[in-house]
Amino acid sequence: MTPNTSASGPDRRSFLASTAVATVAVAGGMPLLAACGGSDGGKKEGTTSGKDAKKILPTFVAQNVVTPDIASKNGSSLGFTGKLVTADLKTSVSGKLGKGSTIKIMSPFWGSPPKGDNPYYKAMNEKIGANVVWQNQDGNTYDEKLGAVLASSDMPDVVVIPGWNMGGKIPSAIISKMADLGPYLSGDKVKDYPNLAAVPTDAWQRSIFGGKLRGLPMPSSYVVNIVPYYRKDIFDEKGYELPTSAAEFLALAKEITSAKAKVWACDDMKWTAFNSFGVLSGSEKPLGWNLVDGKLVYRVETDEYLEALEWTRKLYAAGVVHPDAKAQNQGDSSLRFTSGEVLIYNNDISHWWAKTTEQAAQNKDFRIDGMDIFGHDGGDPTLWAGAPASIFAFVNKKASKAVIQDVLAAANVTAAPYGTEEYMLTNYGVEGTHYTVKDGTPTKNDKGNQEVLNAFVMLASPASTIAHPDLPDIAKAQVEWQQRMGALTRKSPFYGLQIIEPARYTNLANDFEQLEDDIVRGRKKISDMQQAVSDWKSQGGDKLRDWYGKLLDDSGSAQG
Amino acid sequence: MAHSTTPPRDTTERGGASDTAAPSDAGVSRAERKTLRKALRKTSKTTSTKASTKASNGGTFRVRLRRDRTLVLMTLPAVLLVLVFNYIPILGNVVAFQEYDPYVSDNGFVAIFHSPWVGFEQFSRLFEDSAFWDAMRNTLVLFGLQLLLFFPVPILLALLINSVIRPRVRAVSQAILYLPHFFSWVLVITVFQQIFGGAGIIAQTLRQHGYEGFDLMTDPGIFKFLVTAEGVWKDAGWGVIVFLAALASVSPDLYEASAMDGAGRWRRMWHVTLPALRPVIALLLVLRVGDALTVGFEQILLQRDAVGPGAAEVLDTYVWWNGVRNQDFSYAAAAGLIKGVVSLGLVLAANKVAHLMGEQGVYKK
Repeated sequence: MTPNTSASGPDRRSFLASTAVATVAVAGGMPLLAACGGSDGGKKEGTTSGKDAKKILPTFVAQNVVTPDIASKNGSSLGFTGKLVTADLKTSVSGKLGKGSTIKIMSPFWGSPPKGDNPYYKAMNEKIGANVVWQNQDGNTYDEKLGAVLASSDMPDVVVIPGWNMGGKIPSAIISKMADLGPYLSGDKVKDYPNLAAVPTDAWQRSIFGGKLRGLPMPSSYVVNIVPYYRKDIFDEKGYELPTSAAEFLALAKEITSAKAKVWACDDMKWTAFNSFGVLSGSEKPLGWNLVDGKLVYRVETDEYLEALEWTRKLYAAGVVHPDAKAQNQGDSSLRFTSGEVLIYNNDISHWWAKTTEQAAQNKDFRIDGMDIFGHDGGDPTLWAGAPASIFAFVNKKASKAVIQDVLAAANVTAAPYGTEEYMLTNYGVEGTHYTVKDGTPTKNDKGNQEVLNAFVMLASPASTIAHPDLPDIAKAQVEWQQRMGALTRKSPFYGLQIIEPARYTNLANDFEQLEDDIVRGRKKISDMQQAVSDWKSQGGDKLRDWYGKLLDDSGSAQG
Repeated sequence: MAHSTTPPRDTTERGGASDTAAPSDAGVSRAERKTLRKALRKTSKTTSTKASTKASNGGTFRVRLRRDRTLVLMTLPAVLLVLVFNYIPILGNVVAFQEYDPYVSDNGFVAIFHSPWVGFEQFSRLFEDSAFWDAMRNTLVLFGLQLLLFFPVPILLALLINSVIRPRVRAVSQAILYLPHFFSWVLVITVFQQIFGGAGIIAQTLRQHGYEGFDLMTDPGIFKFLVTAEGVWKDAGWGVIVFLAALASVSPDLYEASAMDGAGRWRRMWHVTLPALRPVIALLLVLRVGDALTVGFEQILLQRDAVGPGAAEVLDTYVWWNGVRNQDFSYAAAAGLIKGVVSLGLVLAANKVAHLMGEQGVYKK
């Protein structure tokens, strides 16, 4: 361990105060940028909301196929915990909508893609009535390929782009090279595709890029998706108590850590720290802005941000974080968790179920559980809503009308809600070939795990759903966790809007994440962050603030 | 190669030697290897040409063309490849003087014509960016260290292997030395992490015996040595090949003669072996200096997060980060262009030095 950190740094309380003063000092508006909430079609920056959005958004028509066992509350997903009765499955797509076009889709893929002519793809194509050809790319390095593909003249018919890959000039590429789906979906036209009509309006709102409806969304719960997981089996055995404040967490972490026995308390906890300290969402740039006393403030300018970093730095300095997490080059954090080298880690809510099934065979004692996000001071944390949709499929502008309609036909199948044959086909594959149902529990076999993976689920999805008939307890725990956290969640002014920043500012905040990692690992000091924030302000951050201010005046806060 | 008909002034590297030496280098990059191969090919070619036609310097261009047409034809595919993959892309550097947006038109090439010109704006942005200067500094420091600590290692290893007489021992030790070259960087770094990392074998063993563990892998201060050490472990054995080839061409007569004159082991090495290696060393040194600003992209990118960009950002990763990751293409092109210009200057300087030393270098006037 190398605690080469701020012994000489300024006293924390005083620098926090000085930041606050600086924040107030710089926030004097000079509205010079024409941020547009207007209605002109080809605009490249700004957002579309209110009346303009209403003209474009598809009409919402609920699909009541199966009533969820746990209804959505506080922004949670729909929870299904009941048994699956194959005979009760409904059909939501009658007949084939597709007209037999060939559709090439490029999509991020996590894992190893199956062969192109496998039974799952064939069955899906058969159901859709089109020939979908997948060009799967490694999801972890997707952003390195995306830019080049979008710049080429033979772009695939459909490109799936996750929100976290929309840095730099990607939004500009989406606007100039992707088709407007409005003529097929806006208003009542969406009723041709009943499953798409049941996609929540929040998710469609996020799919408006440059004043046109361009994306097919994958709706998600807006509740924070990063769960602090712990090894329930080991916690129970050793009698560890769950922490309820940042200080308790640190104390517990010191108790757990025994480097000699190759056990460290936790992996990198930066994301949890942000949530615990109430830092504004970092998942999308617009969500990082908040209105404080009539002034817009960006997340990096807040005291909470610095405090969260300082606390995470303490974890590293105390030596309770696994050294491989510090090195950041030894793969997924969950590997250290399942092997028992760390007892706490944070990751996406999907890990709850995924790790349980993964370990079920090899490690019978393994129990993973999510702890509630603790408030840093022991009270309730303030959580900030994420985006209600963050993965989108876009259709190439050059695609013919027939191809676009077939893409929508495909999306209509993949967006089928839980409890339908189409949902089972999309998520589990062909019964008998990819999964078997025993006692109302569908279980994928090896072939299913190999072939029914990513691909079609990336195209468009139903309202966020958590359904694990195999592990109803986990599904229940996940949804209830979302509901408890959802109750503490607030929405920032730009929640739910798809905002495209002017090109000259898109790279402004690029280096913050790297700097965060440097600071928590003790390589840089908190004062370096304060310096970076003041650079950010002078290099355009303040102008960006004015731009967002204008946007807010024009379009009004999304959540009113 | 414009000078393909120039006869070599120095004939220590003979045709026979260059065959074995062709696919090798003393260290790092593919470009370097390529240039080296070309240089050696040139030598072998000219040697054979010399054998057939005595007056290789005479004759007009046409005469020479007719005489060498087979050779010219043979190099044509290589020239074509270089043209398509090296020279034409150079034209793309114009985006460094633009605010390039590849998405303004149908494809990236056409977009060049539609992007606005901004003159030297990208360069002035670059020079104001402290991260760029960090990258520049790290690159030069790493180059210096590698030159000092890495470059001599293959020479020493070659001398060592050359002194082994038993062919079996020699073959086995050579194979062991080469092997790490074929490991991917991901593997090499994982092995290092699992041995020297904070939870690695050494740290854990120390802890079990009551000492404090240590973590070599996340210490920005020693990162430059770490990178050099990894490079030596992985590629030093591979770099031996070219020196061994040069050593093989030293006539045993010379050793015998000096031994007769009473020269000991060290004197033989100093007066026979090393002078024989000198042209190769000079050539590789020039090539290495020309490639100075390329210090190992993949290796460093993989470890960038472990120590942070302050210590691990080099020019190549900087270009990658800004161009590929942040899609700030013009900015990255400007940084790449600067790297190219500096490299050119360095190779010219190094070549000059080689000439002053009486060696051939990569080219001569």
